Amino acid sequence: MRISYLMVAVLLGLASGAVQGQETSATASDSMTAPELLAAAMDLQSGIATSYTEAIMVVHRPDWERTSTMVVWTRGREDVLIRFTAPAKDAGNATLKLAEKMWTYTSKLNRSIRLPYSLMSQSWGGSDFSYNDLSRTDILLREYDLSIIERNQVDGHTVYVIEAIPYENAPVVWGKEVLVIRDDFVLLKQTFYDQDMEPLKVMETTEIKELGGRVFGTKLRMVKLESPESYTEFQTLKAEFDLELDDRLFTLFSLQSGAR
Amino acid sequence: MPLKLLVQLSARNLTRHKRRNFMLLMAICVAVAGVTFMNSLIRGFQYDMQESAVANLTGHLKILDPGYLDDPSIQKSFELANDWQPDIAAEQLDGWAARIRIPGVIMSERETRGIQFVGVDPAQESISFLGDADYDGEPLRDASDRRVIIGRALAEQLETKVGRRLVIITQGVDGLNREMGFRIAGFYDAEGTGLEKVFVFTGIKTLQEMVGAEVFTEVSIKLTGTPKEFSIKAVLSEFFTGLVVLDWKELEPQAAAMFLFADAAVFIWFLIMMGALIFGLVNTLITAVMERVREFGMLRAVGMRPGAVIVQVVLESTFMMALGVTIGLGIGVGLVLWAGEGIDLTQWAQGMEMAGMRSVLVPRLMAADLILVAGLSMVFGVLASLYPAWRAVKINPLEALRR
Repeated sequence: MRISYLMVAVLLGLASGAVQGQETSATASDSMTAPELLAAAMDLQSGIATSYTEAIMVVHRPDWERTSTMVVWTRGREDVLIRFTAPAKDAGNATLKLAEKMWTYTSKLNRSIRLPYSLMSQSWGGSDFSYNDLSRTDILLREYDLSIIERNQVDGHTVYVIEAIPYENAPVVWGKEVLVIRDDFVLLKQTFYDQDMEPLKVMETTEIKELGGRVFGTKLRMVKLESPESYTEFQTLKAEFDLELDDRLFTLFSLQSGAR
Repeated sequence: MPLKLLVQLSARNLTRHKRRNFMLLMAICVAVAGVTFMNSLIRGFQYDMQESAVANLTGHLKILDPGYLDDPSIQKSFELANDWQPDIAAEQLDGWAARIRIPGVIMSERETRGIQFVGVDPAQESISFLGDADYDGEPLRDASDRRVIIGRALAEQLETKVGRRLVIITQGVDGLNREMGFRIAGFYDAEGTGLEKVFVFTGIKTLQEMVGAEVFTEVSIKLTGTPKEFSIKAVLSEFFTGLVVLDWKELEPQAAAMFLFADAAVFIWFLIMMGALIFGLVNTLITAVMERVREFGMLRAVGMRPGAVIVQVVLESTFMMALGVTIGLGIGVGLVLWAGEGIDLTQWAQGMEMAGMRSVLVPRLMAADLILVAGLSMVFGVLASLYPAWRAVKINPLEALRR
């Protein structure tokens, strides 16, 4: 069941990857400040009213690996419905997120529950993502001191390295975060440092492709550096944007009935 | 027959079989000394447990919202007037503390744990274990300290260090979640990692700010000496309309049950030791009576009343018991004094913690227990002599003399 938080997290992260659509074809200029750059990268979904994606997630450990597939619908920035399609054990399980609230549905029990906040802040057992990793991306804008520390040219793109240092009483456990953003606002890499300033985990975009008419990071990998043999990979296989979605999709009823 | 003569007779009879009676005396001494020492250990355990139950933020009395025990959240809080003081005579009051204590989630870079988040005024916390805890780093400065102190065991779980920032999530009075980063002022060392893993402290003003209201969830009161909890409880209940006043037995029912059990254990222990001893005593007395059949027959024949025979045997037993109890108590008290510093149980510390104990067991002598042991021993001594005395009375002087 908890896999669902992860899904949402990754999904939203994905969405952030989808930031830049070709239709906006925006690119960063050197005059942009770090917060502006990051805001643009976060503000991925500007122009995306709805989306439908099919994705696959692999949780890899030295001695085992699990692959799940799911379909995901989003509306605006806040509303998400995820339904697992495989493995058979998890198929039908779903998660609904509406703004700050989140529910999960377990098909075997035919029950849905509202998730308490404390659970949502946990990492999914066995995976390397935590809900906080990606869903609360705007926290970077609110609680961190941001500065561009490097500009590099890579494959004809300008790549910005942003250092984010949390404010004194920020609700942030990291010592700092370092984000690498391409000039088309695709987030390439996000590194989390502990308070000794040792890197602890890294989220990397390992594949950037055009899907559904947009270019975004289609494959993300989260690795905890203390155990590099363990990682979680999230890949988008199919995406459609700005399609007609019924508002009924984003309701508790739809969560439970498995509508659609 | 004059009592003085009987006393003399009994005393002499005791010295007739020095070796046999010496052995019996030793048995009584060992039993009484053992019981005394064991009882003082049980008492030490009992009061240690009670003290730690009271010190673990409970206090002797606590004022709570009626719904707090079922749902310990910030919604079950109350306000206190700024100049509030418990209405208790100063000589009975050790101290009091008003706190917020609510569930929360604490996060470090590596771990997330559920905790009890407690806002305290460090100046009031002399009444709880916080007052005399050891710290790595430093304790909270005052009620508006914006840092936290966490237990050493929790620090290990969170893999964090003094000076680091932790994130704590809890609920505000409006029911919405609040999260905030806190620097660690220090790690406290409580006796028992149970506390260390659960309680995280910050200044109460900081926590009030975080939850968004100047409220408290509990007032804890510690009394001095043997507290007259009930009269004070009534006074407080009257003062706090709409709130409940609970004593430590209601708040820590497990500790209270253990406390009662220890009372019983003292008695049970005594009964077992005495039970075993009594048979030895009866046996010795019967032997003493049976080998003196001719003597008793003669005494009866020359006119000793049956009552005097009984008194004589009972006196023998009583003398033996009195001597044994005196020496035994002496040895027992000596043992307690010798172990006065406490017995180090660090080896079994983990098991001890489960019972809410510290790792040093300090025996505790209680006059009431000594009197109980001495008094009951004498009673048992008399009871044990009744059967031999009855056997002695039953002796038929004619038959006895003809043997």
